[in-house]
Amino acid sequence: MTDHVLTENEGITSRLKAAVFSPAARQKMLAFGSLIVMFVFFSFANEAFFQLDNIMGILIATAVNGVLAIASTFVIITGGIDLSVGTLMTFTAVICGVFLSEWGLPMWTGVLAAILTGALSGLLSGTLIAKLKIPPFIATLGMMLLLKGLGLVIAHDKPIYFNDTEGFSAISIDSFLGDYLIPDLPIPNAVVILFVLAAVCSKILNSTAFGRYTFALGSNEEAVRLSGVNVDAWKMAIYCFSGAICGVAGLLIASRLNSAQPALGQGYELEAIAAVVIGGTSLSGGVGTILGTIIGAFIISVLTNGLRIMSVEQDWQTVVTGFIIIAAVYADILRRKKQ
Amino acid sequence: MFSKKMFTAALGVTALLGFSNIGQAKEIYIPLISKGFQHQFWQAVKAGAESAAKKAKVKITFEGPETEAMVDKQMDMLTAAMAKKPRALGFAALDSKAAIPLLKKAQKAKIPVIAFDSGVDSDIPVTTCTTDNIAAAGLAADKMAGLIGDEGEVAVVVHDQTSRTGIDRRDGFLNQMKAKHPKINIVSVQYGGGDQLKSTEITKAILQANPNLKGIFGANEGSAIGVLNGAKEAKKKIVVIGYDSGKTQKAAIMDGSEAGAITQNPVGIGECTVNSAVKALKGEKLPKITDTGFYYYDKTNIADPKVAAVLYD
Amino acid sequence: MTLLISISHLNKSFPGVRALHECQFDLVSGEVHALMGENGAGKSTLMKILAGIYQRDSGEILLEGKSVNITSPRMAQDLGIGIVHQELNLMNHLTAAQNIFIGREPRSRSGLFLDEKAMNRNAQAIFDQMHLRLDPRTVVGELTVAKQQMVEIAKALSFKSKILIMDEPTAALNSAEIGELFRIIRQLKAQGVGIIYISHKMDELKQISDRVTVLRDGEYVGTKITAHTNIHAIITMMVGRELGDAGKPMIETGTDEIVLEVKGLNRGKAIKDVSFNLKRGEILGFAGLMGAGRTEVARAIFGADRIDSGEIRVHGMSCRISTPADAVAAGIGYLSEDRKHFGLALGMDVKANIVMSNLRQFLSMHLFLKTARIQQTAREYVKRLNIRTPTVDQEVRLLSGGNQQKIVISKWLVRDCDILFFDEPTRGIDVGAKSEIYKLLNQLAEQGKAIVMISSELPEVLRMSHRIVVMCEGRITGELSATEATQEKIMKLATQREMEQAA
Repeated sequence: MTDHVLTENEGITSRLKAAVFSPAARQKMLAFGSLIVMFVFFSFANEAFFQLDNIMGILIATAVNGVLAIASTFVIITGGIDLSVGTLMTFTAVICGVFLSEWGLPMWTGVLAAILTGALSGLLSGTLIAKLKIPPFIATLGMMLLLKGLGLVIAHDKPIYFNDTEGFSAISIDSFLGDYLIPDLPIPNAVVILFVLAAVCSKILNSTAFGRYTFALGSNEEAVRLSGVNVDAWKMAIYCFSGAICGVAGLLIASRLNSAQPALGQGYELEAIAAVVIGGTSLSGGVGTILGTIIGAFIISVLTNGLRIMSVEQDWQTVVTGFIIIAAVYADILRRKKQ
Repeated sequence: MFSKKMFTAALGVTALLGFSNIGQAKEIYIPLISKGFQHQFWQAVKAGAESAAKKAKVKITFEGPETEAMVDKQMDMLTAAMAKKPRALGFAALDSKAAIPLLKKAQKAKIPVIAFDSGVDSDIPVTTCTTDNIAAAGLAADKMAGLIGDEGEVAVVVHDQTSRTGIDRRDGFLNQMKAKHPKINIVSVQYGGGDQLKSTEITKAILQANPNLKGIFGANEGSAIGVLNGAKEAKKKIVVIGYDSGKTQKAAIMDGSEAGAITQNPVGIGECTVNSAVKALKGEKLPKITDTGFYYYDKTNIADPKVAAVLYD
Repeated sequence: MTLLISISHLNKSFPGVRALHECQFDLVSGEVHALMGENGAGKSTLMKILAGIYQRDSGEILLEGKSVNITSPRMAQDLGIGIVHQELNLMNHLTAAQNIFIGREPRSRSGLFLDEKAMNRNAQAIFDQMHLRLDPRTVVGELTVAKQQMVEIAKALSFKSKILIMDEPTAALNSAEIGELFRIIRQLKAQGVGIIYISHKMDELKQISDRVTVLRDGEYVGTKITAHTNIHAIITMMVGRELGDAGKPMIETGTDEIVLEVKGLNRGKAIKDVSFNLKRGEILGFAGLMGAGRTEVARAIFGADRIDSGEIRVHGMSCRISTPADAVAAGIGYLSEDRKHFGLALGMDVKANIVMSNLRQFLSMHLFLKTARIQQTAREYVKRLNIRTPTVDQEVRLLSGGNQQKIVISKWLVRDCDILFFDEPTRGIDVGAKSEIYKLLNQLAEQGKAIVMISSELPEVLRMSHRIVVMCEGRITGELSATEATQEKIMKLATQREMEQAA
């Protein structure tokens, strides 16, 4: 009798274990768990942390990096890398500024211009990589500098302000959600845009041919080529799409600062890559999730914000952040080894 | 499992660093959000602020983004600082317009804002503790003219083209030359990001292209050191006028490779910011701008107590 | 029976190499047409032209009587030509179904999203047709090599191909799996599919093929009806000369000197309590099915994987081996089954590869390469092992599989290892080169080297080994002397599962 019951119980537990501790589930749980642990820790460490204002601050601080990280996720899953996301973001913001503030065109043209500029630039990177066979690291390093310089030239070295475009700053800072839907939850639009974009991109990555080829290219490019797929075209499309997302990031940052800051942008690509990698996407390609990337982006901003709230010396903040990135990636390596 | 362990360790480290600062919420807390924290200049501002805070018995924190281009990072810092419910706020804006929505929030919460180093285009700050950069750069132009005989070719190496100080110092220098020293020809204005190495390369290129060049104005500490290095590497003897201080510039002025430099009063800026905040909290009326002053110093007056007090290493 | 393919006067050159010269070939529906030839004979080039990967220089390809120019893999698929590549061309991170339908995924009604369910259903249907027990949602990287091969075949079948090219499909399969593959091939034959079958395994020809065409040096040699010819004749056509049979080494192991002793080796589920010893001058065969743990044992002894427990004694002395460097220092060399990934720097030249594992010997002042000595040593080994290369400056990737294998061997000889693990030393190597590798192994044993040879080809194990150790599921299930060993006995031990053993 007892024996029988025991075995049945064991059966259930092992099945449960399999469901909860399957490698894929475990990875996401690991990152998510870390985020929760950090959140709880900071909440106890300083009462100012777990306040609506501060949570909103964390959310909006994640928006731009989160969007850039989503853009990078696609490219990194293909086994490539895009170093130009930061300066491309700035460049699209500058172009948007030219449309709106210099030419005085209506707002939707500026939005469209930013996203199209991003897409075109991404397409150019993709072409360099797919057609001219320039390694992604070099091609996008070139694009990074090229876009940075062009942005400064076009903006005449000065920030372009959007003061004359009514409602432009509302794109990021206002809260449609809080104003019209849930008054108690004044989540800024930038954050809503981040989450909507994440959901859409997650769907694209997992349920469309585009997403399938993104993974396939990172897994074994030659095999995809031999399967009769136009590898070059898809690669270009992926970089192009990633560029368009950078355009969204450009709009978010321009709207938040109510200006296009042409000198800004360099350094943001590394933060985006860090978020992607912390989120469990492999730099060697073939593996990755948007959810992981979003969690990775939040880990970075919760950490930054929490350390700030605790008034940790700034130099030490940098040290701790570096340590966490290494620890997160090493944890991932250990996980892979165990499989 | 492993990562959990690591995480605990990481958090332990942060706790060690952080706990010392916890539990002092009762004191008056004034965060200062600066434009940077790595430069000697900002360290001097920080030192001034800290000493003033000690005297006034208030608690301050001092932070700024890694580079002066990171406008949005500064916004994040401002947001985090506001979350800590400060009594007053010191702020050196990287972009004077971008921060206005956040400053309005502070105004609503009745948190007095003291601008320092450069102004904010609004009437929110109760005062601005700053150097008159245009006048200071103009003085640099006059000194340069005097040293090269009021004629010839001169170049300028500026830290950046977007920040207020960059623009003011560049324009202050150029306009003064145009207005008062028409025989002096500015052959080149270049931007080195305040990076010593980049400014060195820029200087060498300028010297290569303009063999008759008589002098270069370096518009901040990093630029000035770059100019000195560049001239040394190119083995050219030119008149160098710098900005701010620091060990390297002080030594260069003593050995004659640098003619002189404009110094602001960074310690004074820091003190002024904290003191103004304390005064504002007491309800005292403050002037719109508090000029913290500047000096031109060279070999002759570097030891003058009035000057030496504002120089930093 | 219709003529599916007719190729004539086909030419293809690569820079410096004439890969195909006035080549001809034909295929009718419902036949298995074997294509034979030594490596470098032009088989792969011919297949790649048919699959749209290479473009011909000149010549005519008639597909069911119509002249075609196949310009891309996609076009080949559309024309009904499917190919199972020799090297597994799969995306390891994707599932079996996703691999099969890459490039032509079923879409949802809107056309926007992929219809994963339909895809899995279709893949399942193909597996059912193949009588393959495999969940289409399994990630390919987690499958055994044999199952991956089956996925490749399923992929080729999914095109509803009229023509199916199989490039060494059995290279990684055990005999049960080969039987299964042949059943599928016969089934396709019955459906009228024409199959081009490339293999180096002579015994398979008799079993499965209807006709055999032999190529040599890019030229057509001849076509025979399999039933009317014998293997010896085909080999003669392939190599263009009579081939001496390198028989079993005649000398018995002269010494009883034990050079390597392994006791109670354990590593997770892969290696369970493995103990054996190896004598000087002996070739010890390691037989077993794919995944039996033979490679794992070799890697563990070589220090490439960490062990949980166990003792390794070299020349009677207990040895602590935790990295390959330790193993090499103890005189143990390991020749990986995957030469291209682990054994060779393909982009570098012959001499660099030969001296690579012992570069320290070739340094002056611990810093600079002694170019002249490297050159001389490399030439020496090229001569000694009869490596066919124009010069020692040739890039290794341009050499044939057999010659590449010889370079890997010389690498370890330069290092002066006296215990050598050969993992599948003749995989992907053609008949002529195979017999040379055999000769070389015998020579090495005669010179006093101790050799462990891991091989999945039973005839090879039987022919070469003095003793044979058989593994199954991580444990050693038996040891046979050369005289008592037969294919049947080995297979019995190789399939002796744990439970059966207990029972």
